[in-house]
Amino acid sequence: MNEPVQKRPLARMGLIVMLPLAAILAIIVWLSEGSTGGSFTRFANALLTSFTLFSFMLLLTLFVYGDARKRPIAPLLGMCMSVLLGIGLTVFFLSQGELLMEDNGSVRAQALSNTIRFGTTMLGVALGAVVVAGTLFASIMNGPSQTIHFEEE
Amino acid sequence: MEEATQAFVFFWLAALFLVVGAMVGFFSKVHWQRRTGAVMLVVGLLSLMATPWTLPSSPSSAFGHLLGSLVGPAVLLVVGFYLITFSGNVPVGRLSKSDRTMGVAMVMLGTLWLEAMHWWILTPMYPGEVNRYWLIFWPTMLLATLTFSLATYSVVGLVGDGRLREQRLMMVVAVFASLLLLLGAVLDGPNVNPNQFSSEVLLASADIFGAMVGAAFAILVFAIVLAIYESQQPSPKRLDPPTMTQLEQASHIIAHNLGGEAEDE
Repeated sequence: MNEPVQKRPLARMGLIVMLPLAAILAIIVWLSEGSTGGSFTRFANALLTSFTLFSFMLLLTLFVYGDARKRPIAPLLGMCMSVLLGIGLTVFFLSQGELLMEDNGSVRAQALSNTIRFGTTMLGVALGAVVVAGTLFASIMNGPSQTIHFEEE
Repeated sequence: MEEATQAFVFFWLAALFLVVGAMVGFFSKVHWQRRTGAVMLVVGLLSLMATPWTLPSSPSSAFGHLLGSLVGPAVLLVVGFYLITFSGNVPVGRLSKSDRTMGVAMVMLGTLWLEAMHWWILTPMYPGEVNRYWLIFWPTMLLATLTFSLATYSVVGLVGDGRLREQRLMMVVAVFASLLLLLGAVLDGPNVNPNQFSSEVLLASADIFGAMVGAAFAILVFAIVLAIYESQQPSPKRLDPPTMTQLEQASHIIAHNLGGEAEDE
């Protein structure tokens, strides 16, 4: 019975992560009496901001890539275009009236607010990763040592 | 200095210093560049944390206030986990047992501090009300902890051998984060009510999913850009086949090595 699941470790991993998370969120939606207003706007704003800022960070990593590739210009231009595309899409969608605007008076204020909120999200994700990785490594390094004993030839 | 210029210098330029400094510091192989990156990171971080004083009228300064509020518990957690980890089965530079005890105390204190920021009077208040970025940070951290612990539980089960203890520990962390999320949605804190917390959890999950999808798109574009560039590079020059002289020389060397006398041990 378990064989098909074991053959798809990624699917199994996805289920183990997503099911409890979805259950917790469903309970919270139920407790908050179905108030999910503003979630789509936040999702879209986070998507556009994340795309733009990750493109910018990947553009910076190209300088490291360039060390091994005689400093090519083409990938830099490609990622510059990607950053500009992100900025252009953000400005375009924020300019469409109430579609993605929150409690900010102008497109610039909303874009800056999105950037700061993205920083806050990254901060929360980073500290969550520190807690999990710290707990895991603290346990691994303080457990009984697992020496591999090879059979004598 | 005008307010907009002040905001640019003390906040946005500082944030740019932080990002660029972190990337140069981590990725560069040149020593002076790494040091410059570290200096830029520290200057950027300090400037951001000082914004409640340098930019008191700007709404962005609430983020600097949050950073300042989180320095204490974050340092306790990072240093605490470092002390516990490196006082274990480390072959070189092992720390003492007292360091381990101190590490455990620091992790517990850091965790209690974070809890007290939601459940007690230590909630970051700026300016005069709950810092709006704290309301984003705390649910995000709990959701991230829950997700990472479940993913690690699954990965350890998949690739680890005899790692039942670590799997159980990850499950404990996941249950702890879930309980905090559910308790926050049910019980009143001194400064945050359950309805507000529930709403912030849902918005934080939207933020996280949005950020993940956006990052995935950016990585996809990055991969496509590099793949196109690499595919346009001329293929490396193919060498001519070996001549008879070269083949004879190679066969002579091989025969010499294979047919030589056995070396004494």
